[in-house]
Amino acid sequence: MGQVSLTGLIMGRWGLDQPFDFFKEYVRNGMAGIVTCRWGFGFLNRAEIAMKKLRIAVFSLLFLAYGVPAYGALSIDITKGGLQPLPIALSDFVDLSPDGTASPQGTSGHRINEVVTADLERSGLFKPLDPTTFLQTPVELWQQGPNFRDWRLIGADAVVSGAVHEKDGKLIADFFLHDVYQGSLVGKGKRFTAPVRDWRHVAHRIADEIYTRLTGESGYFTSRIAFVANKGDMKWLALMDQDGANRVDLTRDRTIVLTPRFAPAGEQLFYLSYERGPPRIFRWDLYTGKRTIQGDYPGLNSAPAWSPNGRSMAVTLSMDGNSEIYLRDIDGGGLRRLTENSAIDTSPSFSPDGSQIVFNSDRGGSPQIYVMDAADGGNVRRLTFEGSYNAAPCWSPRGDYIAYVSGGGGRFRISVIDPKGQNSRALTDSWMDESPTWSPNGRVILFSRQAGNQTRLYTVDLTGHNERLVSLDDDLNGSDPSWSPLIR
Amino acid sequence: MKRLVTIFITVLFLGTLAGCGAVPNEGPGDGTSSQAGGGVGGDGSSVGRPGGYGSNLDDPNGTGGGMRGEMGRLVHFDFNSAMLTGEAEEVLAYNARQLSKTSGRIQVEGHCDERGTREYNLALGQQRADAAARYLISQGIDASRIKTISYGKERPLVRGHEDQSWAQNRRAEVVPQ
Repeated sequence: MGQVSLTGLIMGRWGLDQPFDFFKEYVRNGMAGIVTCRWGFGFLNRAEIAMKKLRIAVFSLLFLAYGVPAYGALSIDITKGGLQPLPIALSDFVDLSPDGTASPQGTSGHRINEVVTADLERSGLFKPLDPTTFLQTPVELWQQGPNFRDWRLIGADAVVSGAVHEKDGKLIADFFLHDVYQGSLVGKGKRFTAPVRDWRHVAHRIADEIYTRLTGESGYFTSRIAFVANKGDMKWLALMDQDGANRVDLTRDRTIVLTPRFAPAGEQLFYLSYERGPPRIFRWDLYTGKRTIQGDYPGLNSAPAWSPNGRSMAVTLSMDGNSEIYLRDIDGGGLRRLTENSAIDTSPSFSPDGSQIVFNSDRGGSPQIYVMDAADGGNVRRLTFEGSYNAAPCWSPRGDYIAYVSGGGGRFRISVIDPKGQNSRALTDSWMDESPTWSPNGRVILFSRQAGNQTRLYTVDLTGHNERLVSLDDDLNGSDPSWSPLIR
Repeated sequence: MKRLVTIFITVLFLGTLAGCGAVPNEGPGDGTSSQAGGGVGGDGSSVGRPGGYGSNLDDPNGTGGGMRGEMGRLVHFDFNSAMLTGEAEEVLAYNARQLSKTSGRIQVEGHCDERGTREYNLALGQQRADAAARYLISQGIDASRIKTISYGKERPLVRGHEDQSWAQNRRAEVVPQ
């Protein structure tokens, strides 16, 4: 194990990139800003070589179609449900003073570690160990590198060492991930730089990095949730980080607002508003604050869905006699009708390649899930045959599953089915679960759960395990969630 | 004539009382869930429908519904259905007769109960509004006077979470503009 120190890390160029003026304002409102970083090239390659030599699977790895291991040695197969979470030692990041020595007064390192720990724990894939059992202090760990025997003794499979310092108003965090059993690094050291106020964003990026290196999947902690917040008779659009922190209220009046939908690039939202009387779709540019109405067709305008390239949208309109799905350019032209029958057709959602649309129709006598070609509405296939109420489909960004709401026995559950109509399974069991939306990596589903007059946001794994409440401040109700892509 | 008006007002008044009586009755049936709502605060005002409509609720038990229904601007639907019942057609025919004496515009609102998904209920509410509007047009009301709107499950008439409340919330309303 080589000596790991700050001086060894300072290689390459690290930059802060803040191309959008809106973000300055956004950040003033309490949102995390954009952080950019680059890999530190050209050091500690021997760690990589060591890892390739030996592959010890911590869990029996079944390489399913998508189960690609990240770094070989230490890895988790997250495609299996109900697995034992990986024991990981997450030590406080060491606060460094400008000369590189440890600074006992600093608090950044502690709070960064708190956020990293919370992210990894909530994923259900990691079991952060109790820091009071650690035999090496954070400073010893950082300055001398891990004493692997000590970490083995407390049952850690992985250990993270990190340090943080401030320079010119920026927070600079460095960290290393170690494989305790191999006594080696997992990947290279990595540095993140951001304005000090965006320390939570830095922590989420570190958590993403750890998650990615150990699961082989892209992380999802640097992402946001748009949702409809509600308290009393007020309903408004709000954004927050995926862990519920940094909430920003976008609208706040008595107008009904519904169904926000993040654009594929995460910079814009579609949503439904009754501000003009009838429900109309608006597009909110988060970077500029500009709002644009997306057409004003007679009757119902609802269920906006972004195409994956962000240039067109699917929408439900009732102007031709009943609810039908149409395709439309974002900027207004090219309206094309995709469905044509006397039943309800709604809730379109594009496949990640944009070629298909999954939607909800009761043309067969009850609401069921169907798929059609996005270009012309042709080649319609019914996916669901069980139950008398299947609705609100949402195609995973990975493409492998479609989440939807399945009703039966007076209950409405979040379920998944594959695009061929096979392998359906209910992931939740409650009275009224709805509005499923996927994490950017397609591994976690966020949804709303109504119980009496309360509506709360929850997440659940694709495997149906690890159901978690997303806690909201102020005892708010939350519904209609939309999970953003990764915000980088 | 004066007497008739008096009777009309009296019946309307009694109907209002009966209707108002029916709404609080939802409370006990609602039990614990309505208490949970109290914690959220401001419960009830989001229902947003001024009291007068309380008199127009169809009586789920079918007692005395005829008189109140005849004067109502509100029709009810079966679960997941936008089909007008015979009773609904009677109410709408009555509304059409009243509307034919005036020239004002109306908005027909479609509503659903809280079960089912947001977007499906928006579509279903629109179907209900459209069904009611089409019936009014069939009774001679000029289509240009009618606008339709769906509120999906956003504006329940009553807050309960059982069959009786749901039955009241599945409705279309004729609202003069």
